[in-house]
Amino acid sequence: MEPRFAGMTFFATSHAGDVCGTNGLPLTPNSITIYGRSQILRTFSHPNLCMYLDIIRGKHERTMIVSEFYAQSLASVQDSISVPGIVKICHQTLKALSFINSFEIVHRCLAPDNILFDAQGNVKLFNYGLYFMTGKGADVSFPIGNPRYMAPEVFLVDSQIASSPKVDIWSLGIILAEQALGLGQVWSELKLAQLMRKVLSLINCNSDTSVFSRIAREHSCWTKYENLPQSLVHLINSCLQLNPSDRPTPKELLQFSIFKEYTLDDIQIGKFDRPDTLFENIHPLNSLPLQELYYLWRLAGGDVQSELKKQGLIRTMPPILSVPRLVLLEGSVLGKRRDQTSLLDLKIIPLSLDSLRNRLAPVPFSAYYPLIETKSDILNEEEECDAATLPLIIRERDTEYQFRRVVLFRRLLEGYPHTKASIVREARQDIPPLYRGRVWAALLEVEGDFESFYVETDKETPNHTDRQIEVDIPRCHQYDELLSSREGHRKFKRVLKAWVERNPQYVYWQGLDSLCAPFIYLNFNNEALAFACLSAFIPKYLHRFFLKDNSAVIREYLAKFTHIIAFHDPELSNHLQEIGFIPELFAIPWFLTMFSQVDIERCLSDSVAFYCCTPRSTTYRQHERCPGKISQKNKPYHPDLEMSAQSVAELQAESCPRISGADLLDLLDSSKFPRPKVLVVDVRNPELFHLGTAPGSINIPHSRFDLTQESPPLPACPEANILLQNRGKILVVAGQGDSPHAVQVAQVLLRNGLPKVCVLNRGIDVLQLANLLTKPTSS
Amino acid sequence: MANRGGAAQRPSPQTQGKICQFKLVLLGESAVGKSSLVLRFVKGQFHEYQESTIGAAFLTQTVCLEDTTVKFEIWDTAGQERYHSLAPMYYRGAQAAIIVYDITNMDSFGRAKVWVKELQRQASPNIVIALAGNKADLANSRAVECDEAQAYADENGLLFMETSAKTAKNVNEIFLAIAKKLPKNEQVSGSGSANQGRRLVESDTSAKTAGNCCK
Repeated sequence: MEPRFAGMTFFATSHAGDVCGTNGLPLTPNSITIYGRSQILRTFSHPNLCMYLDIIRGKHERTMIVSEFYAQSLASVQDSISVPGIVKICHQTLKALSFINSFEIVHRCLAPDNILFDAQGNVKLFNYGLYFMTGKGADVSFPIGNPRYMAPEVFLVDSQIASSPKVDIWSLGIILAEQALGLGQVWSELKLAQLMRKVLSLINCNSDTSVFSRIAREHSCWTKYENLPQSLVHLINSCLQLNPSDRPTPKELLQFSIFKEYTLDDIQIGKFDRPDTLFENIHPLNSLPLQELYYLWRLAGGDVQSELKKQGLIRTMPPILSVPRLVLLEGSVLGKRRDQTSLLDLKIIPLSLDSLRNRLAPVPFSAYYPLIETKSDILNEEEECDAATLPLIIRERDTEYQFRRVVLFRRLLEGYPHTKASIVREARQDIPPLYRGRVWAALLEVEGDFESFYVETDKETPNHTDRQIEVDIPRCHQYDELLSSREGHRKFKRVLKAWVERNPQYVYWQGLDSLCAPFIYLNFNNEALAFACLSAFIPKYLHRFFLKDNSAVIREYLAKFTHIIAFHDPELSNHLQEIGFIPELFAIPWFLTMFSQVDIERCLSDSVAFYCCTPRSTTYRQHERCPGKISQKNKPYHPDLEMSAQSVAELQAESCPRISGADLLDLLDSSKFPRPKVLVVDVRNPELFHLGTAPGSINIPHSRFDLTQESPPLPACPEANILLQNRGKILVVAGQGDSPHAVQVAQVLLRNGLPKVCVLNRGIDVLQLANLLTKPTSS
Repeated sequence: MANRGGAAQRPSPQTQGKICQFKLVLLGESAVGKSSLVLRFVKGQFHEYQESTIGAAFLTQTVCLEDTTVKFEIWDTAGQERYHSLAPMYYRGAQAAIIVYDITNMDSFGRAKVWVKELQRQASPNIVIALAGNKADLANSRAVECDEAQAYADENGLLFMETSAKTAKNVNEIFLAIAKKLPKNEQVSGSGSANQGRRLVESDTSAKTAGNCCK
């Protein structure tokens, strides 16, 4: 299989010593600036552009680039190319240039070796991002471009003009002239200094002698020049205008009539479409999108850095040789030997796909096109990869398993939102890292035209939150290359400002940045999606937390949190109570950032476990998104069976959570829970108890507890022993109506270390509404 | 858990004199370096990039002062103005406060003065307040003159030092100066039993029922 992508490498200029910016923070390394800036290139998908697949930072400001690659370039084509062929190359190159120009990117090193051809002989422009990603060359110490093809103004004027799309047109003009005149290379005998003088000397050309005609004369191919079609000469002359203002842009050139004269689609350039390449091309791996291919290539052991090392592009010098002779106290370094290994070598190293092909050889062809709507009989369960049962960390590194997941998720995402249910189901198993950003968006139910919404959102107008955002962004999330890059900072600021702008009821609280970070990281090239995800995430998990005055919401939340601790871990609860360690002192950063600053994995597995054994109504908050909505379809419950709002003071005065009558009925449903999960403790008088109580309940009248004591022991009675024997079950303390006794008794049970204690909201009376009161059994 | 901080490393009062425990709170505008000062004092470290503090962080550090061991319980608070409503919970019952400003930022000095006023009005009457002009390593971009801050501190009876969490300049010194100024009669026994169930929030003098702290 032919290599599909290649690597190259260079060094960014390193900052001298220990330099700080005006804000006292260290300067961002140039390689990080390049890294952040170049991410956008990875989104470019155009038939005449080689795709950028990866940008990798190495040690000492090294940057490595992985790009789509084809072995055949205009420089390597041996046969002379026909006039229609030249026109086709010109046309496709212009389309590619015009596309990158629309992102304000110019090639600046356009030369025959950067014009590649795919198997069908179509132009694939290569290396067009180098000038852009290095900040017009500012972040690297080497000049960008081949002097032979450089426009004269590039040598002469400031970078503004030297970075106009018209510099590429000059280069294209020289390339076309070479091809039209059948020259291997213009001025091939000149050395670098002479070459630059030669290009500059062209300034003497005037309207009588065009640059093109002079090149023809100098290379003694005047006859050939005279026989060229006028339209082609006109095209080349337009490209080789000395004054940039006379030179058309790629977009303007595309309007030239010459491109209508030829039926460009049928023209063959060189010898392409050889039978053997045709055969190669039907290898199913070639049907995968390049990003997937690269992702799998790396999983199958592909390592750009080691490939470059093997090819001698990355060499290392023993550190002992780079020790300077003298370091002055203020930091300047003297007598350091120049490291030869850091010299520029822009050689391109194709990366072989053979090991990936071998690794995926056992995968049947059908796996490339899995059925997602109907589980077919042909694809039985046995065909599922054996890796499915392994730990996540292994699954994420298993080539074949990831292959299946990636193919499946790509197809599911293509069908979104129709495939929402399947995505949720599959995501429970795992999410392939390659598609995590889009899968999360699907899980958050982001759909519709979020892009225009984001575009229309004001992200620029200064406002009072700017100062805080500007202070926070450069110092937070600097652990990550993407988020610490300047581009990352800009995106951070825009998304945060957009969110504040679109949610006038909310404000920027420190901590919001932590919620924003994962979405920017996952959707670095799609700010609108990052914003849409954030906008969907916050109401889902942190509803109203970012109100300007959020104290009512937060305090209710923390009071509920205290109840839940009491419910699940009475020992911890009692200890915290004893030392007065209220959640206001420690839990705010957890909830305000959704635990983004703690070990989330442990947190997540614990919280899922707790969630599963916590009755929904015990977490009821009036400030939650849809308070009290317990999905009990077809069961029109009486409102008294649902929860009702309590003030924060009331919540704080009670130690245990309340449970709704509806939840209790649910727990008492023996068809759902054949082994009872709940024990009702009826604290009313025995007379009332014997008139009717909850099924299976025990009676400990509140008068048996010495409620005058601060923490009384359990009363000595057989019922207390039943309580202890049922430790672990949900203990629902029920009194008469909303009398305070149930709350007090629940607190005593809690102080005595019993877990899962809660109070029946509105007391035992609510069961009457459901006709569930039964005579107690005589045990 | 009762002997938080480890009783082992705490010298016993019989052999080593008194042990005093003080609650100290750091206040000041955001990004002036409160967390960095604490990190330098407690762990001797400095991070170029210090994540912003949400809510507050709690740390402890012990310093020795002649025959007295002083244990600081440090509440490092969030600087953003929005978190202001939480601040009383942290400075209530505190015996000491460090109010931090950034010497390259005049606004942060103004904010520091507001904090001083608030503490003088609402904190414990005997609270020891220190003013720290942080980021002294950035003297090139100084916006607040040392003399001006010193004069303000003298007027208000504050300790004052210019500090740098980055270079460690005056970091231990300012905590030591506070320790010296604090009254040493509020002895806390190091023997352990008296420590059990000790309340983290309020000092012994202003005990309130838990759960009412943020009112």
